Amino acid sequence: MKFRRDTGAESETTREEVRAMAEALSLYRSAMRHIAEREAAHFRVVEPRPGRSIRFGMLLAPALTAAVAAAVLVPVYGHLHHHTPAPAVVVKTSQPGPANTLANVDDTVLMNQIDSELSEDVPDALRPLADLSSQTTNASAVSEKKNVTQE
Amino acid sequence: MEEIAGNELAIDKREQAMLELADFDEVVRVYRPRILRFLLSSLTDRDAAESLTQECFLKAWSARHQFRGDSSLSTWLTRIAVNLMRDHLRSRCLRFWQKTRGSSLDVLDISDWVPDGRSSPESLTVARDRVAAVWRAVGSLSAQQRAVFVLRFVEEMELDEIAGTIGMNLSTVKSHLYRALAIIRERMGGAK
Repeated sequence: MKFRRDTGAESETTREEVRAMAEALSLYRSAMRHIAEREAAHFRVVEPRPGRSIRFGMLLAPALTAAVAAAVLVPVYGHLHHHTPAPAVVVKTSQPGPANTLANVDDTVLMNQIDSELSEDVPDALRPLADLSSQTTNASAVSEKKNVTQE
Repeated sequence: MEEIAGNELAIDKREQAMLELADFDEVVRVYRPRILRFLLSSLTDRDAAESLTQECFLKAWSARHQFRGDSSLSTWLTRIAVNLMRDHLRSRCLRFWQKTRGSSLDVLDISDWVPDGRSSPESLTVARDRVAAVWRAVGSLSAQQRAVFVLRFVEEMELDEIAGTIGMNLSTVKSHLYRALAIIRERMGGAK
């Protein structure tokens, strides 16, 4: 009988343990569900809808790649083409707008002016240089004569 | 006759799952809380759970054409989440960060939520201690044991459903669950 009583006490203890564990698991489940709901609600406020964010992210990645590629390639391309001479472009940019309009208005006057300036032997602005060049021409002529006499 | 009816039912379920998957925004809206709950219960880390939940749906979106409707959408998503959780727990780098993470759920967060309908403050304290002990014990389980335990006792899934989700035999699922419960029981005994 004593053995029976012990067994009964043991089974009572086991039953109590199982009951306590079942209760703890139930409480744990409730707690986890409550916390997950709270986290999900918090997450929803902070973040946009995940489905859309997934699509947005999928669109954003190629867009970012394209932007980075453009940021790298455009300066390189510009740098390479910056050194190539483009006289037509330089002339166009160097001429102010009003001059162009004047030129368009009276091309014949301008052409005549240019012809007259070119037909002159030496333009006024280059007159001092013309003297110098004449001197150097004389000097070179003298040195040539010297060389000839030495020979 | 029964076989034909069973096949038709399976086809209906498959079509339903495929239709459900077509509206992915709705899929995310419906299943995200459950996936987040599973990952949060398994990892006890808010940031990791949220990050893996996002990754789960991203993977599902990427692989949506491979989904043939053999299982329910819920099972398919949970399977992806279980695999992500395993990878996360396996990662040595993340194991290091698990020790120093700042976004982990505090045991007080868990135990403080115990409903305050107890007869006495003592019983309330005992209940909180028990929940905290379960929470700590779950943290010490292996990835497989944890997945099985959470799917059974938090998600309240049937054992064969768990076996299908995790890709294990039913006997293996029972074995993992038995071991998990033994560890938790032992820890609870220590908490007394």
